Amino acid sequence: MADEQDTEIRLPATASAIPSGDGTVWADVSPLLNAACNELRDGELIHGENFSLFAAMSALEIMDPKMDSGMENGTYHSVDEAIESGAAPVPLSCDKTTDVLRIIDVMDHLLACEATWHKGHSLAQTVFSCIYLLRLDRTSPHALLHSYCRIIRATCNAVISVVSEGRTHEEEDLFIMAFGLPLGGEKDEGCLSSVNAVEETLCRRLHACKAPTAKKRVVEDLEPLQTNPDLEEGLCRALLCRLRFRKHFYHLLLCMRRPQGRGLELARKHISLCLLELEHLRKSSDFLRSVGCSAYNNALMAETTASGCQPLGFDDKLNIRTSAPAPPRAIKTLSWEMALDYFKKLLDDLDIICSFSLELLLENVLHFVVEFQKRQPDLVARAYLQALLIQDGKLYGREPIFHVICKASALPESLKNHDIQKSEALMQLVQTDESVWSVIYQHLFLFSILRNGLSHDLTKVNGSLMQLLINLLRILCTNVAWQRRKLGKVLQDWRVIYVKLEHTFRKEFRELSGLSEENACTKLVRHILMWVEEQTYWIALRFLSLGFELDLYSPEEYCMVYWYLYVILVKLAEKTHLKILAGTDSAKRKGKKKRESLVDTTKDYRIPPAVMLLKCYICLAEGLAMMLAALRNELMILQPVSPFNSEFERFMQHFEHLQKACLPDHISYQSFKECTTQAVLSTLVVYNHFKDALRIAKELKSSFGNDPNKLAELRCIEQIAERNSIALNVINRIGAVDPALKISFEFSYHPYFAVAVVKRS
Amino acid sequence: MEGAQEDGETEEKAEFDASDIEYVSYGGEHHLPLIMRLVDHELSEPYSIFTYRYFVYLWPQLCFLAFHKGKCVGTVVCKMGDHRYTFRGYIAMLVVIKPYRGRGIATELVTRAIKVMMESDCDEVTLEAEVTNNGALALYGRLGFIRAKRLFRYYLNGVDAFRLKLLFPRSEMHPSLHLLAEQDGHDQITMEGDA
Repeated sequence: MADEQDTEIRLPATASAIPSGDGTVWADVSPLLNAACNELRDGELIHGENFSLFAAMSALEIMDPKMDSGMENGTYHSVDEAIESGAAPVPLSCDKTTDVLRIIDVMDHLLACEATWHKGHSLAQTVFSCIYLLRLDRTSPHALLHSYCRIIRATCNAVISVVSEGRTHEEEDLFIMAFGLPLGGEKDEGCLSSVNAVEETLCRRLHACKAPTAKKRVVEDLEPLQTNPDLEEGLCRALLCRLRFRKHFYHLLLCMRRPQGRGLELARKHISLCLLELEHLRKSSDFLRSVGCSAYNNALMAETTASGCQPLGFDDKLNIRTSAPAPPRAIKTLSWEMALDYFKKLLDDLDIICSFSLELLLENVLHFVVEFQKRQPDLVARAYLQALLIQDGKLYGREPIFHVICKASALPESLKNHDIQKSEALMQLVQTDESVWSVIYQHLFLFSILRNGLSHDLTKVNGSLMQLLINLLRILCTNVAWQRRKLGKVLQDWRVIYVKLEHTFRKEFRELSGLSEENACTKLVRHILMWVEEQTYWIALRFLSLGFELDLYSPEEYCMVYWYLYVILVKLAEKTHLKILAGTDSAKRKGKKKRESLVDTTKDYRIPPAVMLLKCYICLAEGLAMMLAALRNELMILQPVSPFNSEFERFMQHFEHLQKACLPDHISYQSFKECTTQAVLSTLVVYNHFKDALRIAKELKSSFGNDPNKLAELRCIEQIAERNSIALNVINRIGAVDPALKISFEFSYHPYFAVAVVKRS
Repeated sequence: MEGAQEDGETEEKAEFDASDIEYVSYGGEHHLPLIMRLVDHELSEPYSIFTYRYFVYLWPQLCFLAFHKGKCVGTVVCKMGDHRYTFRGYIAMLVVIKPYRGRGIATELVTRAIKVMMESDCDEVTLEAEVTNNGALALYGRLGFIRAKRLFRYYLNGVDAFRLKLLFPRSEMHPSLHLLAEQDGHDQITMEGDA
């Protein structure tokens, strides 16, 4: 960066082929450039005013190994040079036994590379560090190696496609970068037939070597795999499980992409076969270790293969230039054991997706996704879940989002059956080749016209509401760090939609109020309104609770976080209850008319279990907020002290998104202070929120008898409530008099609800 | 970019008196090699000379160095500018060499920079720190920074980062804050313990 030149240099105008325009004159800048060149020293540059941090950061220092990916630091300058130097021979050895052993090492190292890729490194420096894959044609005389490489390439393509179509990989964008890699070629399933052919030959060889000697010649005129008869069976088996694993893995990926989740059942079969082969792979290690290293002379050791020998044909420096326009990243290939563990976890995650019942009730879909995320699935599994949930703008590719919303809004049966069905018939009539969106839009439009109720405005709002829901489902499938940021941002959109919808609804309703009875359409919108509010609070809850998972709150902030969590939970419980009541109300009214009976309604109005569960959380959140407040008020601990700002600023920063979206209305830092400044331990012991939580949790058990997840959650709630209740008593009794008492908060029973731990130091 | 690497455990501690540490504002090109050597050695991310100059030429007042008996033992490099609707300070690099850690040098360096940002009417200060860098996280926590976001695999070494934020109490800059302060009777926000 050169010092700015204040002296203006006037240069003589010269003749030019391009005429000067208004206010512009051609000038020869050569003398200026020459002068600058003479003045500039190392590390200086001439720049415009728009030279930004991004521009500065984008500059690379050539030949600095930390920055210069293109630096020649490998053994070979190019793939061709590596091949000419014999880095990746075909066959891998003239000795047939060694050839087979080395192929197995290549297969194992590729598996380790693949897992490393899935875990967030570039494809170029992992899977495509394999020279055989970089020049696939060279392997064609070697059927075994060739078929394996082909199916690896096809699998990479399948995985890249599902991840890139999801378009939610954001921070994981390194994953799909495949620029300059030979990934093209077969898009079909051609690679499967070549794997099948090789597998069949291997089977016959295995069969032949196991047959009694007398029969051998008769059974097979087949040449054995290699020259050592003692190793024939073991090597055939080791190859077979590796090939079969690849085959079933590729099959299952294809099955999972079948439209409308139609391939899920078959995918599960392939998953169980994959898991079986994975176990065979693991077991083959003993055999391969015993023969591997003794077979080669002076083999280098490696962690990435079952045999423990260094594989031939890999160079992770060759591709470093194509990896990304960024400084080189340090790559540590996963060990073979870790790769097997990774695939085991991936297969288990995919199996959970495949066994999902494709619920139509949104509440259950959201619950499933949230539970799935608790397993901390990696990018690939999350991408497949997203691909299943949203296809062609529909849930599972078959359920229009509008229907999902209607169902989620607990619409009375009468409405569902009558109006929507009718409009569906119309929808089919208008269905042309246009995009799904326009069809849904027309669907809504026609529906509104049909019901003579609603204006064009409302259908617009509904259209974007559906888009919001699709986005929400997508966001919920992303990594939790990004997910939380996105959820914070969409909160406002949900709030805006609610306000718009309510506004339009009121307007419409006023116009329609002359009619004797609320018509089906206004009823529909009223239900949808309730659902939108409930859903918004659900997002707010997820936003706040993910903060715990991501470790975003410090213990000094727990008090305000639990307090806000409590406020949001109260609202969520209220909205959920209202929605459920509205749903049952309409149903009951209809039923009553038919039966004309007066049933005792007290039993029907008991609080639904879903709401009671929220009440449990409310008690826990309020209990923790108040306990923490009392600790601050009385024991003077966990107080946020900072030289530059106050707790108010921390509050505003943490809850900025919620405050901006008025979630809920009239809630501010002041309300938090009002609720917590008076908290004292002696009162909390008498009115113990944790005891309430415990009581409700015990009562609820019978309602969730057939739901093991919910029962487990209730047991956690009981533990947290019980322990905090005891801690509260202990602190109340001796906290003030015992200065050696150390109080901390741990998340040993639940990701969001802490347990107070009291220790004497 | 990186935050401080001020963790307690060190192999060898330097013997020194806190009053022996001299803090100086960036004084020109002769300081640049000192800063670069420290940062290149201690932080994981590589920066080109243009990045260093970008910071120290544009915001020399936000760059400080700590010296012990003539030896540069720590530095902080920052910037400030408009970010969406706010005027934001940004701590780009903070380094104290290992033997000198745990004695408040990083806190002093960063506090000096934050004070200049505050006097220059910044609304807030941000930075990123590795989620595993407990020393830096504790340091910024004590200064009132909150962990606003987590950034997945932010660094080249694959580690996540926290985006830390410190909001200054200044209601008139934030219309929403102002509104809130009014309706809640929360007028001028006082600062606690700022010397």
